[in-house]
Amino acid sequence: MKERLRALDMGLLIPMMLLVFMGTLTIYSAGRGMAVQSDIWLKQTFWNLMGFTLMACVAGVAPQRLFRRSSLFYILGLLTLVAVLVVGKKLGAGAGARRWIGIGKLTFQPSELMKWVTLLFVAHRLGTQPAEHLQTSDLLGAMALVFFPMLLVFKQPDLGMAISFLPILVLIPLIRGLKKRWIALGLVGVCLFGVFAWKKLLKPYQKERVMNFLRPDADLQGKNYQVNQSRIAIGAGGLTGQGFTAGSQTQLNFLPVKTTDFVFAAWAEERGFIGVLMALGLFAAVLNRILSIARQARTQSEAYFCAGAAAIFLLHIFVNVGMVAGVLPNKGIVLPFFSAGGSSTLSYFLGLGVVMGVQYRNRMK
Amino acid sequence: MDIRNRVNLHRRLAVLQTVAWGLLLVLVVAYGWIQLVKRSAMRDAALSQAVKNRTTPAPRGIIYDRNGYKLVVNHNALHLVIQNEDLPSNAHQITAVAQVLGMDPAWLNRRIQASRQAAGNRMVVLKDNLDEAGLAEAEMLRARFPFLSIQAAPRRVYLGNDLAGHVMGYVGEVSPALMAKEPGRYQIGEIIGVSGFEASHNEQLKGLDGQRRILVDNLGREVALFGLQEPVAGHNAYLTIDAGLQEVMKEAFGEENGAGVVIDLRDGGILAMYSSPSFDPNTFLNRLSQADVDNFYRNPARPLLNRVTQGLYPPGSTFKLLVALAALDKGIITPDTQFTCPGHKVFYGRDFRCDATHGTMNLTQAIAHSCNVYFWELGARLDVDDIYAAAKRYGLVEPTGIDLPHEATSRVPSREWKARTAKTKEQQKWYAGETISVAIGQGQNGLTPIALARFYAMLATKGKLLTPHLFYGTRNESNGQLDLLQPAPLRQAPLDPATWAVLDEAMFQVVKVGTAKASNIPGFDMCGKTGTSQVRALGANREASRSQEKKFRDNALFAGYAPRQNPQIAFVVVAENAGFGASSAAPVAKKLCEYWFLQRPTNPRKPPAEYGVVLQRPGTQPPSSQPTPSTSQEAQP
Repeated sequence: MKERLRALDMGLLIPMMLLVFMGTLTIYSAGRGMAVQSDIWLKQTFWNLMGFTLMACVAGVAPQRLFRRSSLFYILGLLTLVAVLVVGKKLGAGAGARRWIGIGKLTFQPSELMKWVTLLFVAHRLGTQPAEHLQTSDLLGAMALVFFPMLLVFKQPDLGMAISFLPILVLIPLIRGLKKRWIALGLVGVCLFGVFAWKKLLKPYQKERVMNFLRPDADLQGKNYQVNQSRIAIGAGGLTGQGFTAGSQTQLNFLPVKTTDFVFAAWAEERGFIGVLMALGLFAAVLNRILSIARQARTQSEAYFCAGAAAIFLLHIFVNVGMVAGVLPNKGIVLPFFSAGGSSTLSYFLGLGVVMGVQYRNRMK
Repeated sequence: MDIRNRVNLHRRLAVLQTVAWGLLLVLVVAYGWIQLVKRSAMRDAALSQAVKNRTTPAPRGIIYDRNGYKLVVNHNALHLVIQNEDLPSNAHQITAVAQVLGMDPAWLNRRIQASRQAAGNRMVVLKDNLDEAGLAEAEMLRARFPFLSIQAAPRRVYLGNDLAGHVMGYVGEVSPALMAKEPGRYQIGEIIGVSGFEASHNEQLKGLDGQRRILVDNLGREVALFGLQEPVAGHNAYLTIDAGLQEVMKEAFGEENGAGVVIDLRDGGILAMYSSPSFDPNTFLNRLSQADVDNFYRNPARPLLNRVTQGLYPPGSTFKLLVALAALDKGIITPDTQFTCPGHKVFYGRDFRCDATHGTMNLTQAIAHSCNVYFWELGARLDVDDIYAAAKRYGLVEPTGIDLPHEATSRVPSREWKARTAKTKEQQKWYAGETISVAIGQGQNGLTPIALARFYAMLATKGKLLTPHLFYGTRNESNGQLDLLQPAPLRQAPLDPATWAVLDEAMFQVVKVGTAKASNIPGFDMCGKTGTSQVRALGANREASRSQEKKFRDNALFAGYAPRQNPQIAFVVVAENAGFGASSAAPVAKKLCEYWFLQRPTNPRKPPAEYGVVLQRPGTQPPSSQPTPSTSQEAQP
C-alpha cells in the first residue's frame, strides 16, 4: 500500500482533492433541504473514498500492463454496452433511457468506464508504431473504434455521455498535426454529421434542448426553466457569494438537479465569482498537470492516453460549466469532482489513476 | 519515441493546452458577465421568486338577530387561487388551466390581465371551497402548474338559508362595472356585499385584510415568515330582525308569492321582512348551476326581487285611509258625512260596481266594510293632486330610507306625474275618471310594502314618520353589551288627533266586524285594513277574476298595527294572486300577531342549535357563561 500511495502524483492530487472537497461541501449544502437525499454528501464521500482507493490501485499498475490487455477490455466493454441496451435499467423519469446496469442494489453506468477503455485501446493501437508510419487507414480504424461504443451509448440514449467519447479523437490532430485541409474536411464532416444527426438521430427532446438554447428568453417557466434558474443562482452569487448554505436559489430548490448536473451553479451562488475563479483555477491546474505528464511520458501510447484524458476532462469541464451558465446547450454532462454520482466519480478517479501511473513509471526510470 | 515525434507531440500538446486555457477563459468571462455585470438583475429575480407578499383575507363581521342568534357566520375554507405575484403570462398555460377547471379561457385570461394591471394584492380565485376530493385534485394541478396556490380564506355561511335571503343579501367578487363606476374604491377580486344588508353595510362588515411577507420554495411552500400584519375582522352586526317572527312569517307564506314586513313602532326597526319566493344566499357563493341561473334570472316569479322594498303594488283598499285623510284634511267631509251605496254607481258615464250593496254609511263604516262607492264619491269630489299632496304629507311617496340597497320609491299619481311620463299629448292629460280609480287604490298607484307599512306605522303612532331600518347595533367589545344604533330622527306628520281617533276606530272595526273579522283574535285588539288590487283591468267583471288563471288573480293585502292600545308593531302583508285580501293576507297578519304577542313572551321559538345563542339584551347583566367576543367570532384565520 505504501508503494501505491507513493505512486500518487502530488501535483495532480492536491488540486484534485481540493476540487473534491469543494464539491462535497456544495453537495452537502445543496442536499440539505432535500427530502429524499439529504445524506447525499455522505454517499458521495463514500464514492470519493472508493475512487481514491481505486486511483491508488491503478496508479501502482504499470500502464504497459493495461495497454497489453486493452483489446480484451474493449471487447468486454462493448459486450457490456450491448447488454445495457438489452437488459439495462431505466432510471429516473428521464426519457426512459437504458443507461444503467444493476448488480444487487448497486447500479452502474458502464459507459462511464468505457470512455477510458476506449481511450486506452485507441492510444495503444496508435502508439505502438512511430507516427510517420501510421496510415490513414489506421487513423480511420481508430476513429471507428471510438464511434462504435459511442453509437451504442447514443442508442441508450445518452447524448451527453456519447459526446464525452469525442475528445478521444483529439489524438488524430495530435499525431498528424492540424493541416488546413484537415480542418476544412473536419468542418464539412461536422456540418454533414450535424445535418444527419438533426434529421435522423436526435430525439425530439434532444432537439428541443438545442432549440431552447438558441432562444434562451423564450418559455422561462417551461423548457428553459432549468437554465434560467441556474443563471439566476449564479448571478445572485455576485462577487463573494451568498455564503455557505445561504444561497436562496439552492436552498429553496429553485435550482434544479442541484447535486448533479447543476451543482456548479450552487457553488457559484454560495461562493460567488471568487469561488468560480478558484474552481476554474484548480481545474486549469489539473489539466496543466495532465498535459505536463503527457509531455514527460516515456512512450507514445502513454502520452496519447494522457492527452486524451486531458481532452475528456476539458470537455466535461467546459460543457458542464458552460451549460450551467447558459453558454452551451443543456446536455446532461456532469462536472468531474463536483457532481454527485458513483459511476462518474469512480470513472474520473480511474482515469487519473492511469495518468498517475504514467507519471509514477516515469519517475522510477 | 524518437526525437522528431516528441518535438511534434510537444508542439501539439502546447496547442491543446492553449485551447484548454482559452476555453476556461471563455468560462471566466461568461461567469464574470453574469456575476458582476448582471448581478443585481439576477438577485432581483432570485428575490422576487422566493419572497412573496400574501394577503390574508379578513373575515367579515358576523350577523346576529336582535336576540343574538347567529344568522351569518364564516367558516375557513380552502380555495384554489393564483396569487397576485404568481400571475402567469404564458397564454398556453392559462388556457390549459382553464380547460382543466372547466372555465372559460378567455375569461380567465382577461381576469389575469386585469389583476396584473390592478393595484393591491388580490388573488384570482379559480375554485373556491375545496372539499377533500377538490383539494386532492388541486394539489395535483399544482404540480403541473406551479403558479397555482391553495389559500385558506373565510367564507360566508348563511345559517338561515332562505329564511331571510333578501334581508341578508350575499357577497361576491366586486364586478368590473362597479369598479369602473367608483374607481379606486375597490380592489379587483375584493369580496363585497352584493345585495341586501351585506351590501348596504359592507363598509362596516368588511374587515381589514392582513399581509404576510414570506419566503417560499420552488413549490410555493412557505419556508419562513418575514413580516406579518394580522387581518382585522369586520365589525359584527346585530339586526333588528327577530328570527322567530321571521320564521313564522316564512311559514305563513309557504309556497305563495308575496311580501310581508313588521315594523317595531318604538324605533322603526324591522322585526321581520320576507319576500316570497325567497332564495338561499349560500347558492351565490358557488358558481351558479344552470338550474340556479334559470331559477334566479328567467323565473317569472323573480326570486331575487325584494318585494318588500322593490315591489310596487297597487295598494287597493289599504289606500282608502290616505284618501280619507285627504278628504278630511281638505274639509270635503267630516267623519259623520254619509253616502249611500246602492251596489254600483255611475261616475263620468261609467258604471262602477261595489263588492256589496252597503247602504248608507259613514266614514267609519265605509272603511270597516271597504265600501268602494263611498270612496268613489270622495274621488269625485277630490282632485288627484289633493290625494297626491296627502300622500306627500304623510310620507307615502318618499323613500322610507330603509338601510337596504335599491329601494324603490312609491308612486301615487298626480297631474304633473302624468304629464311628465305619458307619451302622447292626449295621454298626458288627467281625466277626472281616473281619480275615481285612484281613490280606491287602483289605477296608477304603485306602493312598496315598506312604504305602506311606514304609513300604517304613522297612523299607529299618531303621526310619527319612522325610518325603517335593519341595523340594530354592535356589541360593545369592552362590556359585552349591545351598543344600540340611535334611531334616525323622525318627522312628525300633521295628523290631527281627532282625525286619528276616527281612523283608529275604523281600522279596529275592520277586524272586529268588518272585512277582516275572520282574522280577529279573541281578547286581542288590533287594527288594520284589507285590500284587494287588480293585477289586470277586468272592468266590471271582477267577480269573474276569482276563477281566473292564478297569475291574473287579484293581489291580497292587509296592513295594520297592534295592539290597538299602545301599539307596538305595524305590519303589511301582500299575498300575490291570492284573491280577496281578507281571506289570504289578513290570516298571515293574524299569525304574526299571535306569535308576537301571545306565544313569544312565554315560549319564544328557538332557532336551530348551530345558530348559537348569545342572548345579550341591552341593560341585562351578562350571564357567567357569556362567551368572550373573540371566541364568538367564528373562523378566525
